[in-house]
Amino acid sequence: MAEEGPKDDVVLEVRDLAKSYPVRSGVVLKRTVGQVQAVDGVSLTLRRGRTLGLVGESGSGKSTLARVLVGIEKPTRGTVLVDGEDVSTMSRAARRELRRSVQMVFQDPYTSLNPRMSVGDIVAEPFRIHPDAVPAGGRRQAVAELLELVGLDPDHVNRYPHQFSGGQRQRIGIARALAVKPRVLVCDEPVSALDVSVQGQVINLLADLQDELGLSYLFIAHDLAVVRHIADEVAVMYLGRVVEQGVDRDVYDASGHPYTRALLSAVPVPDPAAQADDEVLLLDGDPPSPADPPSGCRFHTRCWLARQLASGTGPEAADAVETDGGPRVPRRCATDDPVLVPLGRHDAHAAACHFVGAATAVSAARRPDPATVPDPATVPDPRGS
Amino acid sequence: MEIEIQAGTEAGVPAPETAQERTVGTTLLEVSDLAVEFRTDDGTVRAVDGLSYRVEAGRTLALVGESGCGKSVSSLAVMGLLPATAHVVAGQVRYRGDDLLAMPRTRHRAHCGRHVAMVFQDALAALNPVHTVGYQLTESLRARAGMSRRESRRRAVELLDLVKVPNAAQRIDEYPHQFSGGMRQRVMIASALAMDPDVLIADEPTTALDVTVQAQVMRLLAEIQAERQMGLVLITHDLGVVAGVADDVTVMYAGRAVERSAVRDLYAAPAHPYTRSLLRSVPRLGTRDDGHDDAHDGARRGRLPVVPGRPPSPGHVPSGCPFHPRCDMARDVCATDRPPLAEVAAGRSSACHFADELLGGDRG
Repeated sequence: MAEEGPKDDVVLEVRDLAKSYPVRSGVVLKRTVGQVQAVDGVSLTLRRGRTLGLVGESGSGKSTLARVLVGIEKPTRGTVLVDGEDVSTMSRAARRELRRSVQMVFQDPYTSLNPRMSVGDIVAEPFRIHPDAVPAGGRRQAVAELLELVGLDPDHVNRYPHQFSGGQRQRIGIARALAVKPRVLVCDEPVSALDVSVQGQVINLLADLQDELGLSYLFIAHDLAVVRHIADEVAVMYLGRVVEQGVDRDVYDASGHPYTRALLSAVPVPDPAAQADDEVLLLDGDPPSPADPPSGCRFHTRCWLARQLASGTGPEAADAVETDGGPRVPRRCATDDPVLVPLGRHDAHAAACHFVGAATAVSAARRPDPATVPDPATVPDPRGS
Repeated sequence: MEIEIQAGTEAGVPAPETAQERTVGTTLLEVSDLAVEFRTDDGTVRAVDGLSYRVEAGRTLALVGESGCGKSVSSLAVMGLLPATAHVVAGQVRYRGDDLLAMPRTRHRAHCGRHVAMVFQDALAALNPVHTVGYQLTESLRARAGMSRRESRRRAVELLDLVKVPNAAQRIDEYPHQFSGGMRQRVMIASALAMDPDVLIADEPTTALDVTVQAQVMRLLAEIQAERQMGLVLITHDLGVVAGVADDVTVMYAGRAVERSAVRDLYAAPAHPYTRSLLRSVPRLGTRDDGHDDAHDGARRGRLPVVPGRPPSPGHVPSGCPFHPRCDMARDVCATDRPPLAEVAAGRSSACHFADELLGGDRG
């Protein structure tokens, strides 16, 4: 990230991180026929007591990044620094010690808890891996405190996961992650499997825990509205790359990347009037395969801005090219890979688009000031019925 | 039978000629006082308790509620697809006047396959992994419409085109695992549309999908609904999703309808405290009512407004108004008397003792 904070402020940093998986074919003799670049050169910084939101569609590499950060996967390239120390160069013992400080909360509270283990055993399981993390009062005491902390009844320690609702199971998952007193929680879509009214409870719990324990969160979600509520900074990923990052206000209200703008416009607004006003910048189809990413800007095959520019009257239109099967886009979009460039307002706000200026202008024009949103009663019915 | 898209989304424009004409406003499906019980180890449990709704041609009804509120069970009852442990204990389901529940089960199912179709939440589970997408689409066309192999294949490609699966003629020979989540859901919609149904019931069609794909699928459903003047029932827990597509909303809680309103009225001023809580707990993009103006000041953001507790499971429904333990307006009467679903304003019903207060308070 462009911004240079005081070094001791940063708890987790990744530099130019990449993770690729081989694509094999053949029945008996497996040959490697290609590489899927799940994460391709990502740099992020997470500060103490802060929340970094990571958003993107399925296949953008956000879950792979999470798995690398907690040590489930080894990176192909790049470094992960915890408290400024490179995880890959330290001794096994030191690494294990450090791994304690980065724990994970999983997406699906139904499959991430072993149905044959009691809640007490589930929450105490991290102590088996990190025996030195057991507090002085002993495991039983620690488990009771953890359950209390996440708002569950400590008397339910002998119950099994199926006796709990989805929201309660996610609380169990959070208690388990907190058992070894981590400093960083990597939360991979922690609320997307929950009912709306329960989502809020879990998000509020995470916010309370952050205040109480000074935790830092990497909060992964495809729901930008949820991320806005909890994140201080946001990074938007597309096909393994970060395409935009910055403090939440910059990213949400002055998006510099057309992909961010499109993601935002896809969020359902619980207000029929607002939905009629806000034209949806629909993204066509699915993201391309990370095994064969598009040339130039990876987003150009689905980019509404590139299409707009190519069909406009500016110099970009004259120079537009036809991509195979795709839409006409400005030549640069199809040939040059854009890098993250800082966008004036705050140092930390950066976007990887050749036409950042045009994208930001559209964002500014589109985002209505909440104060000037017209009264629903005076707006004609958008459905015309 | 035809599959061509016909224009005419405005009221008054004749609907495309199909098996029976669909004129906007015609009641296609009417559910009245439906009650469904499950047999469990702890005795019988009522999952749906006196639910009524009406689906009209050219209109979209959203059935909104959280896990266990009975919204999915009620649709399974409509379709005649209840599991063996469940049965309808009361009520009627009328399709164009005929009570489906009074028919023999086989006729009920046949009626539903043809005129009332359903799209399920989990498209991967609903598709058979060992058969191609084309086989699964043509199977029903051959069985139900008696089409030949070639004819059914041509029709299946048309259906995939209709739901905007790119390269439909090639992709028809692929297997479900070769499709993305959004594309699978499109295949399910195509399959449901195969017999050109009058009513389409979509049970959480976008819950497992990314926001971008969700927007695509919702738009597709709305387009198809408008083009064919179908009646569409959208079952969801997310009030955000239905704001742009539904005409009417029925909010369910603990097996009962607690509010019934036109979409605009509901969002402008909910007539039931549960609806209000649901609306408040949808995280919103534009508003940050937490005074979190400067991201660098280290100030903590405010908390999301939440409904305390969780929805009751069937069999453990509280006395009186089932929502009273979670309601911030609850008074003594709420714990003892069950409020009926009653009209509280023109075209609006609410099952709350204090609906007038709620509507008055929100307006003032």
